[in-house]
Amino acid sequence: MAKEQVAGFEDSYEVEGKMALPYTYFAGRVGSKFITTIRDQQKIMGVKCPACNTVYLPPRQVCDKDFTDIRDNWVELNNTGTVTTFTVVRYDDRHLPRPAPYVLALIQLDGAGTPFMHIVEECKIEDVKIGMKVEAVFAKETTNTILDIDHFKPAPEKISIHALNTARKQWNPADEPATNEKRKGGKPDMATPVIIAAALTGAATMKNQNPSVPYTPEEFAEEAWKCWQAGAAMVHVHAREDGGMATHDHGRIKATHDAIKDRCPELIVNLSSAVGMGKTAEQRISQIVAIKPEMASLNTNTMNFGIVERKTGKIFIDYVFENTFTMLQDFSRAMEENGVKPEIECYDMGGLDNTLLIARQGIFSDPMNFNFVWGVAGGQAFRAESFIAMMNALPPRANFTTCGVGTDEFPCIMQSCLLGGHMRVGLEDNIRMPDGRLARGSYELVEVAVSIASALGRPVATATEARLIMGMKPR
Amino acid sequence: MAHHKKNRNVGIIGIGQTKHSSHREDVNQPELIHEAVRLALQDANLTMKDIDCVVHGNMELFEMVHQPDLWHVLGTGAYGKDCIRITTGGTVGATLSCASDNLAASGMYDIVMAIGFEKLQEGHTTGGITNMADPLWFRKIQAGALTGSSAYDVEREFGLERANRASLTYRIIMDKHACLNPNAHRAFGLEFSQIDDLIRTSPKLVGELKLIEMCSQSDGACCVIFACEQKAKELARTPVWIRDHITVHREETFNIFGYDRKVPVIKTHKFAAEQLFGRNGIKDPLNYFDVFEMYDPATWWAIDWLRDFFALHGDEHLKLVENKEIMIGGRMPINPSGGVIGSNPIGATALIRVAEAALQVRGNAGPHQIPTPVKHALASGFGGTMWTVMTMLEKELNW
Ligand SMILES: [Zn+2]
Repeated sequence: MAKEQVAGFEDSYEVEGKMALPYTYFAGRVGSKFITTIRDQQKIMGVKCPACNTVYLPPRQVCDKDFTDIRDNWVELNNTGTVTTFTVVRYDDRHLPRPAPYVLALIQLDGAGTPFMHIVEECKIEDVKIGMKVEAVFAKETTNTILDIDHFKPAPEKISIHALNTARKQWNPADEPATNEKRKGGKPDMATPVIIAAALTGAATMKNQNPSVPYTPEEFAEEAWKCWQAGAAMVHVHAREDGGMATHDHGRIKATHDAIKDRCPELIVNLSSAVGMGKTAEQRISQIVAIKPEMASLNTNTMNFGIVERKTGKIFIDYVFENTFTMLQDFSRAMEENGVKPEIECYDMGGLDNTLLIARQGIFSDPMNFNFVWGVAGGQAFRAESFIAMMNALPPRANFTTCGVGTDEFPCIMQSCLLGGHMRVGLEDNIRMPDGRLARGSYELVEVAVSIASALGRPVATATEARLIMGMKPR
Repeated sequence: MAHHKKNRNVGIIGIGQTKHSSHREDVNQPELIHEAVRLALQDANLTMKDIDCVVHGNMELFEMVHQPDLWHVLGTGAYGKDCIRITTGGTVGATLSCASDNLAASGMYDIVMAIGFEKLQEGHTTGGITNMADPLWFRKIQAGALTGSSAYDVEREFGLERANRASLTYRIIMDKHACLNPNAHRAFGLEFSQIDDLIRTSPKLVGELKLIEMCSQSDGACCVIFACEQKAKELARTPVWIRDHITVHREETFNIFGYDRKVPVIKTHKFAAEQLFGRNGIKDPLNYFDVFEMYDPATWWAIDWLRDFFALHGDEHLKLVENKEIMIGGRMPINPSGGVIGSNPIGATALIRVAEAALQVRGNAGPHQIPTPVKHALASGFGGTMWTVMTMLEKELNW
């Protein structure tokens, strides 16, 4: 009991005590699901209060502001977030999760309304700042605690394309003569904003190939919203039934179109006049006339449009896609008369020439908007020199964009961007990222297009700019 | 003892309780509390917007959470409101009721919500309690709630056999009451014919104090809403009026070196009852009250304390038990809820006494409602070291 005493207090002792008090506390069902979802799925889930729209993380049973029972209203959050405040732990203690010094931060995940506490690592302590972006790193072995997220590490800053666009000078038609002047010398005008379009589904890509393919109007609206957020000015849409079949039903197409416009009123919706296999000419064009989207696809030649295995050349589906001169003429006229800008799909030089021939009737309003399509089994594969030949064959003032099936997608859009044209990406054309993994959605492919534009120093067009460039009425 | 007239009357207008249980893994602490809060608000037909102040209480050390009222805001609804935390020991729940009564009576708040809770499964109660004492350093000794001296007292005065049978009779009456209360934690379905068996087989804890005679360790919460007279009359069909309450404690009577015959240890109940009934002009409490929700941590204390609370003489208190006059339907029903022996989420326990007494006055306690009308009810709280809190409830505002 007696320890060495301080001088002057040799006859005063201290009594030593010891407490060892084990305790637990229960996470409850809601808290436990939060942890098991992190453990088993590496997903961070919060709960959203429908009364006040607060997204709580960590999740809880009840909104403490309005007492709404929110225990079943789960929402998935991003693995990235922002440091809202932090402290540096500078002393060691057995109960602490890391040897000192380390950073404990309040982190608000993207999409969450409340911050939660976690460790920030993989950077110098002095580099941690309020407002820095961080990303969750999941633990390799579970402890069935919040430490199944092992820590957060600095995440690359992702600057919103919309923020960038707000900050720069807007493109206007007065800039166009300069653009055409430059093109004459074969030199692209890199100052023209590049329009990024996202083709969300096509008629054939199914959820079993990529679960992000939308079927319902709600799914279309959600995917379109994500693409819009990522930088797309336009979406190209083939409506589907709930089961995934392509449909020519006016009601369903309109519901899909309207759901997207309700969710992102700014976005240009481009409907398909191909719809899907085996539809009649009437089925293909009547829906465009009925719904009158701002833009619709216009197909330019009758061609093989099949599915052939690339490696072996084996034919899986043999199909002739019929687009006679009469159809080309009637569809063009119907679109122009109804204020729908045609997106002229050219699968080879022949399609382009067909269009120029018909155009002598004076059907098309200026400027014409072409899309060079690569890699369809029945159309031409992507070749850089073919691209340039097609571009050089365009009438004056015409715009061009491009899309490519499968791995043709990335080189063709890069070339288009390089030559002053525009870019189309999306699950209709390609379900994978450049590294081969499945894209999380068309929006992730839009992000690739945005990165190409930023690498080449081209601004990404806003929807307003896209309308001006493509000759549509302002909204 | 000074006794001041209240500034204004206060009534109980809402009551909520969880099911009390040995384990509630499905909820965390705020979630458990929230169950009681929601039920009390429903009972009062109020929303959290109507509540002016939240009074929060538990045994802070038991769950090892410092300032638990802060975390518990997630379940209490105290977000942005005035909130007061109370920790007085076993009496916490009773003190919550007294404080809420005073806060509303004072005019400071019109509607006050009291919340008592405990999640004993999560902590280490005995660890928390035993550190209160150190025999050598003037910190007086008590092994938590395990006190065998009452058993020794009763046994010495009335003989081992009669004492043991009275204790077990009390125990079985409490179990029969608990079997009627859907919120009770322990309801075994014991029969009086099992008395001899239980005396023989129940493990002894201290002296004659047996395991079957002790209270449980429970998880549970209780919420009671108090309102000033005007609001209570506006909002509630049958408000239960708080007539008076008293708190007495005298730590120095704890003798550190064993039992002293000349200075019996527990006298705070007797003193509190004398003061409370005296100043309210109640000469015969046994006749005056229709029901008593008594904080009974163990059967030996319970049977002994009946004499103190009701100023009984000789073996009158034992006869009440032996003749089953304390059962529902008897002369003085004690703990129709099953009492603390039935459920003991400590921070809520003494508030449950007030809540259950109020339910009896309202007449809608449920299957354990006593059959005769209840006009006057009594509730007690008890805690170490020798605290007594007593609360008188009335059906009419006519005293
Ligand atoms: Zn809310």
